[in-house]
Parts: sequence; structure tokens; C-alpha cells
Amino acid sequence: MRSTEDRLRETLGALAAGIEAAPPAYKRARAEWRRRERRRRLVLAVLVAIVFALADLIGLWALNQTRDHDPIIFDDRSRIHQTEPATGVIPP
Amino acid sequence: MTSPLIRAQQAAAEADAALAELFQTQYAAMHRLAVLLGADDAEDIVAEAFYQLYRRWKKLRGADKAVPYLRSVVCNLTRMRLRHLQVVRKHTTPETAPEPGTSAEAEALLHDDQRALVAALKELPSRQREALVLRHWLGLREAEIAEAMGISPGAVKSHTSRGMAALTRVLEERR
Repeated sequence: MRSTEDRLRETLGALAAGIEAAPPAYKRARAEWRRRERRRRLVLAVLVAIVFALADLIGLWALNQTRDHDPIIFDDRSRIHQTEPATGVIPP
Repeated sequence: MTSPLIRAQQAAAEADAALAELFQTQYAAMHRLAVLLGADDAEDIVAEAFYQLYRRWKKLRGADKAVPYLRSVVCNLTRMRLRHLQVVRKHTTPETAPEPGTSAEAEALLHDDQRALVAALKELPSRQREALVLRHWLGLREAEIAEAMGISPGAVKSHTSRGMAALTRVLEERR
């Protein structure tokens, strides 16, 4: 009596032997890989360019929304006009 | 002394020669593996696997890692394809639903017992089926199967024993 493992091995071997699988021409396959790779890189470059252009546009729009002479990066005017807190400590 | 450009050209030519040899020697084996795992579009899966190998050739740790990498890609793509078919079957009527990999010509040459075994194999979860095919058709070791399937050797042992138990049960019910 054969074990299930032996029968499985024999069945898989018989099934695999019945599968016809001749490789296509390597040159054609390589040409297809190269075409896909070029296309992938092109799509990636276009996406990066779009993201970069969008970031630029958003930055320009933000700059355009501010009033003239308003500091954009760092605004410290609130501290200039603020009175010193009364701590009770008198400077020497 | 060779310039970097000449060295790069030599490396590209060597990679191309190695890929060409792998394509000739491994294409049929990978195609059979995809069919045995249940893929209905084995040719597409193998073509995609070789494209992935072409893309990542420079990142491979050595030429001897190419075949395990191909096996791993074929297993992953077949599993994804089977999951996709399961989802499609859920949302279509039974008449129009696509069948998972049925190599009808190959199965025509099998005995009744063998056909029953193949049918039982198709009913197994994809992980169990993968583990059994890699173990009993390719004769891989547990560590190699674990690498191909992207799981631990302990999980391979578990999938193999569960799958084998399910097949034994089906064969005993047939007697």
C-alpha cells in the first residue's frame, strides 16, 4: 500500500509532464522588459514632476495671500509689543 | 586598466547572458510550477516573474539567488491571482465565474485516482497547496520552502502536515 506522499509525488510528476511549456524567444521577452522599464521610469518621472510643480504652486499661492511687509517665515512682533511679566524680581 | 564605462558594459553583458541562460533553463519549470499551484494564466505570471528578476538583478545577493527569487515571485503572484479569482467568483453568477487553473490537457492523461487527488489539491487553501507542491514536486527542504513562501519553517511544517492530512482523508473517503 503506497502512502499519500508517494501518490501525491507521482500525480504531481504526471501532471507536470503533461504541461507543455516552451520558452518564447529571449530577445522578444527582453525587448518587452526594456519597454516596460522605460515606461515605468517615465511614469515615475512625470509623477515626481507633478508633485514638485504642485508644491511650487501651493507655495507661490501662499506667498501671494500675505499682505505686503508681513513676515512670513517668522513673526515675532507679538513679543515686541508685549509687556514684561511682573515677576517681582528686580534686575540689579 | 579598464575605464568605469567599459566595466559597466561588461557587467551589463554578463547580466544579460546570465538572464538569457536562466530564461532558457527555468522558464518551463516556472510555468509548470505556476500551473501546479493553480494559476489560470501561468504564462503571464512567469513573464511577470522574469520581468521582476530583470528589474532587481543588481540587487540580488548572487546569481545563485535568482532561481529562489523567481520561485518566490511565482508563488506570490499565483496566490494573488487565486485571491482575485475568489473575489470575482463571489460577485458573479456560477455560470460566468472563471475557474481556477484547470490544465485540462495535462489532466486528461491522469488515472481516476490521480484526478481525485488533483481535485482534492485544488480544494486546499493556497498556502497548504504551495507547501505540498514545493515539497513533493520540487523536493525542496523546509528552509527553501519557507524562503519561497515568505513564512517561517515552523509554518511550512504546519501547512504541509495539514494539507497532507486533508488529502489522506479525501483518498480514504473514496475507498
